[in-house]
Order: sequence, then C-alpha cells, then structure tokens
Amino acid sequence: MTRLPKHSTSMVVWLLLLTLPFWMSAIGGYTALGSRVVVLALAAMSLNFLLGFTGVLSFGHAAYFGLGVYGVGLTLKYLLPNTLVGIAVGVLAGTIAAAVVGALIVRLRGVYFAMVTIAFGQVFYFIAYRWNTVTGGDDGLSGWRRVPIELGVTRLDILGNDKAFYYLVLFCFAGAVTAMAGLLASPFGRTLLAIRENERRARFLGIPVDQHIWLSWVTSCMFVSLAGALYALLNNFADPHDLRWDQSGDFVIMAVLGGMRAFWGPLIGAAIFVVLQDYVSSQTENWMSFIGLFFILVVLFFPRGVLGILRRKSAS
Amino acid sequence: MANGVFSRNIGRRTVIKGAVAAGVVQFASPFIHTARAADIVKIGLNDPLTGTYAELGKNEQIGCELAVEQINAKGGILGRKVELLVEDSTSADTGTAVQKGRKLIERDNVDFLLGNVNSAMAIALGQVSNELKRLHIVTGGHTDSVTGSDCHWNVFRVCNTTRMETNSVAKTLFTKYGKRWYFITPDYAFGHTLQQGFEASLKAFGGTEVGADLSPLGATDYSSYLIKAQAANPDVIIFLHAGQDMINALKQAVQFGLDKRFHIAGAQQELEVLNALSPNARIGTWVFEWYWKQPNVPHVAEFVAEIKKRTGGKVPTARHWFGYASTWTCALIANQEKSLDAVKLAKALEGFKLPPEVALMPNEPFYRAGDHQLMPSLYVGHAVESGSEPEDLFHVDEVVKGTDVALPVSETGCHMVAPS
Repeated sequence: MTRLPKHSTSMVVWLLLLTLPFWMSAIGGYTALGSRVVVLALAAMSLNFLLGFTGVLSFGHAAYFGLGVYGVGLTLKYLLPNTLVGIAVGVLAGTIAAAVVGALIVRLRGVYFAMVTIAFGQVFYFIAYRWNTVTGGDDGLSGWRRVPIELGVTRLDILGNDKAFYYLVLFCFAGAVTAMAGLLASPFGRTLLAIRENERRARFLGIPVDQHIWLSWVTSCMFVSLAGALYALLNNFADPHDLRWDQSGDFVIMAVLGGMRAFWGPLIGAAIFVVLQDYVSSQTENWMSFIGLFFILVVLFFPRGVLGILRRKSAS
Repeated sequence: MANGVFSRNIGRRTVIKGAVAAGVVQFASPFIHTARAADIVKIGLNDPLTGTYAELGKNEQIGCELAVEQINAKGGILGRKVELLVEDSTSADTGTAVQKGRKLIERDNVDFLLGNVNSAMAIALGQVSNELKRLHIVTGGHTDSVTGSDCHWNVFRVCNTTRMETNSVAKTLFTKYGKRWYFITPDYAFGHTLQQGFEASLKAFGGTEVGADLSPLGATDYSSYLIKAQAANPDVIIFLHAGQDMINALKQAVQFGLDKRFHIAGAQQELEVLNALSPNARIGTWVFEWYWKQPNVPHVAEFVAEIKKRTGGKVPTARHWFGYASTWTCALIANQEKSLDAVKLAKALEGFKLPPEVALMPNEPFYRAGDHQLMPSLYVGHAVESGSEPEDLFHVDEVVKGTDVALPVSETGCHMVAPS
C-alpha cells in the first residue's frame, strides 16, 4: 500500500483555495462563485464535525446558519455598520441558540434527534418568516450591505473588491477549519470518534456521552453560524429560506456527497454541489434531477462519498 | 478469447469509468469560456423556472424572447444583435438568485438585467445590480419597497406595487358592494402589505373591517376561515392569495356557497389562476395588470397572435407582457440615447413613455421619475364563467390610470441616491 506523504491532500487543497481567484475566471467561473463554494463548504464541514466525527445526524443546521445570517443583517441594519461586529453577533446568536436547544435534545438519538432538530429549525424559520417588522418576513432583510473593514493602517475594501471579500471568507474558513482539525486531533476529538464507533462502550468507559455530544453540537453550530454570517455578507441580503429545513438538507447532501469520513470531504461535496448547480442550471431547468441522480449514485455505490472513492483508489 | 488481451486490460470498471467520464464531458463545455463577439448586446433574465413560480417565470421568458426577436428584426440595439441569457433563480432560494445575478453581470457581462417574479429576489437583485452599476428592470415582484424604501437609481419596475392594486379596486368595492369587509390573507409579506393597503383605503372611506384571518402559505383547507367569515356577515370577503392558494380558497368558497350571499373580491388576479379554476369558481371582483382582450387598443391583437404561436395557442397573460415590455424598454432607451451606459440610460428612462406598440394599453404608460415605477393602466373587473372565447375569463369594467392610484413619490419612502 503506497501512501501519499502526510498532509499532501491538505496542501493541495490550500494551494487551490489560495490561488482560486486567479484561475476561476479562466475556466468560466467568477470570484463570487468561489466565495460561495468556500462559505457553503464551511457550513458542510461544520455539519460534518457532528455527522461524520460524532455520528449524530442533524437536519436543522440551517437554523443556526440562518441565525448567523440574520445576526449580521440586523446588526448592520439597525445597530452599527461594522462588518466584524456583525460577524461576532451572528456567531454569538447561533452559538447561544444552539447551546440552549442542544441542552434540550442531547439525550435523543438517531432519527428522533434528527426530527427534533428539524422541528427547532422550523421554529426559527417561522420567526424570521412572520416577524415582518423586524426581519422583513418573506421579502427578506434588505437595505444594508457589508462595510469595508478598517484595520488601523489600511482599509480592506470587501464591498467594492470581490477578491478582497474572497480572502476575508478564506481567512475565516482557514481559522474555523484549523480549529476543527485541532479539536479532532485532541483527546476530545478522539472521544467523539469513540462515541461514534460504539456509544455504549464509551459509556461503560465512564465517558460522559451526553456532555460530549452537546459540546460537539455547540461547536458544530458555532462554525455553521460563522458560515451563515459570511453567507449574509456574500449576498448582502438575509432571506428566511436560509433557515429552512431544505437548506439543512443541502448541507447534509454536500457532506454525504463529498464523504462523511474524510475531513475535506464536505469541501469537495460543496464544490460539486455549487458548481453543478451553477452550470447545469444554465443548460437545463431540470438541473435538480442531475444533482439528485448524482447523489443517488454516490449513496448507492460509494457510501463514503467522492473522497472515499479517491481514498480507496490510492490505498489499493 | 475470454482471457485475451482485451478483456484483461479493459475491465468492467474501466468501461463504467469511461462512460462516466464521457458523461462529464457533456457538462464541461460551459467551463470553456467562449469568447463572445463584442458586437452582441446581452440582456440577462433572472427568473424562477423551477418551483412555485415556474409558470410565471417561464411566461415572462416567452415575452422576453418575442421582444428580442422583434428587436433583432428591426436592427438590434445600436446596430448590434441582441442576445437573451436566461438563468433559473429557483422560486425560494434568494442566495441562488443573487449568485445567478452576479454570474450574469460579472461573468457573462450582460448590459441589462431583468427579473424577478419573487419580491425578495427582486429586492436582493436590485442591490446586486446597483453595486455593479447595471440598468435593471424588475419584471414581476410586486412588493412596494422595490420602488419604495429599497429603490435604486438603476432599478425600474414594470409591474404594479401592491398599493396600486388595492387602491385601484377599493373604491369600486366600497361604493358598489358595501362598507363591511372581511379579509382572508396569506400569512407572508405580500399578503400583509395588500391587507394594509386595503385597510388604509377602508379607513379613508369610513368603512369597517369586520374581521381578518391569516392563512398559512400553501394551505389546502380554508374551511375554518370561510366559516368564520360567514359568521361575521360582511358585505365583501376579500381574498389576497396568489397561485395555488387562490385556487384552493376560491374553490372552497364556492363549495360553501359564499359567493351567493357575499361579494367575493381581492386585489391581484392572474389569468393563470382563472384558467385553473372550474367555471363556477370563476367569481369575484379583481384587478388585472394587463388583459389580452382590448379591442380598441392598437397592436394588442398582433401581440396576442405572436404569443399564441409560441405557446401552442394559449393567450398571453400579464406575465408575458411584463417580459415583453421590460425587454423593449432596454432596446428603446439604448437606441434613443445611442449608448449602453447605465447612468445615462437610467436618467433618460425617468419620465420615458412606452410607445403604443410596446405599451399595449391605453393612457401612455411611463416610468415615473421619483421612484422609477411604471405608471400603467390597471384593469378592474370581474371574473366570468366563460366568455366569448375559451380564455376570455375576465370582464374589464373599468380601466384605471396608474397615476391616480399610486402613492405620491413623497409617500413611497424612496430616497434615490444619484450615482457618483
């Protein structure tokens, strides 16, 4: 079995991401598409922290994603025009909500857990959808936009320069992904893997399983709300759809498509999902059938996702 | 032969992989950035082609396509050929709509942006087009704020505001059918703004609101609301739904026999909905934004005939006209100004009157300077079981001038910031 040098996958991924704005347009893309891939990849990787490495399926992550979205939107619109404060508020809102909801549902398992996450997710969705005076309801929250960041010595023009915004997104992505990788390599992360593999055995070993799942849930939701905050800045718009269950479903599809067991899997999944949507939908209005078909093929024949196929190939 | 070179080297998996690769190549073509000739003017349409609003979006697309064909036949824009690029915005996911808007402007470099049917998407796309400084015409999103608090120097709109729709029908309802109104409103922003519009009129006339119910979007059972409405004994029951919700609500109102005892009415009604209803459920007083049967208005008959050719014999709806009028607006103003510069064109469009062959309605519609809202005519009338022709399902009682029913610019909340 020939193994590639350690970290080689990571290095390739980082190299591609860092240079993305420079080759994206050459292959018919545009910078905003790259930003979207990275943002949704962060959301899918956050979900995978829970799904792939703790073995708990959430179908309600869009709620915390959406709280990040509205946290930014409401801050920039009503409180103060500062992008960084907006991001902080968005992440805080998502994390606090997740901590409270998590405490209520952490004892549930399997399909019951997934169902309850949908239910709580829809609670947040309907708040955003119906509270017209504050959230704009179905029309969405508009009338605000991302504000250039003052860094003391220099000014980061993330509004007028979409490359600058891409690198802000990438910077946040890098921070979040490094933190997740660090957590997974720590004893805490190893414990999560143990819970995923055999929860009963972990319990017999004296591991406080519920607390670990709760922590994993809150961590995952914190990063997904960061993704939501960036998504709001990308669109300059907050939309109740961002909190809805089918958005959660998209995150699950991305994670499964790319490969749940691989760290970079959801990034690949998100890239495939977004790019396929972007290109195929310009060719045919039946683009969803193609994504669906691709998803079914992957689930049936390659349950470990696209990265799972590549892994197996390099291992054989 | 089974152990021959061939079968050993090319296994089943390789064949499958090859097939997959061949399939992937089919989609790779758009990746290769085709160098487009500079002698083409591009108009981008960003509208829902899938989901709830798919039919409306596709009808607008047909109108746009007809306009593009006619524009090209008459020499294009500035002597250059016009091309329509269409992107599916989906019906609900505004993030995708914004992405597609950026794609049209940043990658495909369209000169004009059209769309969207969905109000939220119309607002969000307005921000994108404003940021990237392209002339943008909103085809079918009705919420007031597009030409109100969210207005932009580069954004114009052909369809009406919700307030114009309620104002146009309110007076008729009040004087002809009674002062006690009951509302059944879909519970989202569109329904709420329609109801507020009616309530403002009702207050001004001195009528009473005897009750109001909010029904969830996508509800299939309206019996509880209908029973409550019946018990309140109003003069008029007002339905503010759209699409499938309107179909369900009206069907059930007829089953309950409400149409025999109360007057049924509402604001916006579309031919798409009346077509889908059974004849006895085609009831009530409504507003149409455009109607295909206008015998005394020039050029309408030609337009109807042209659209029929493209839809397999179906008459055009207001949506076809929205697409048609907005596409023609781009061509007319660019040819008039001999320029594609968005700032210049936006300035020229303020007060611009649509010529009769594009307007297809009486009273010379024009884009109002203060908020960029088109001031068209509105058609107040009632639905009929069957007309002189199969698709003649609406009888126009009165044509109302847009200028008479629109709020004055000072009350729209629009503060236009001129481009720097």
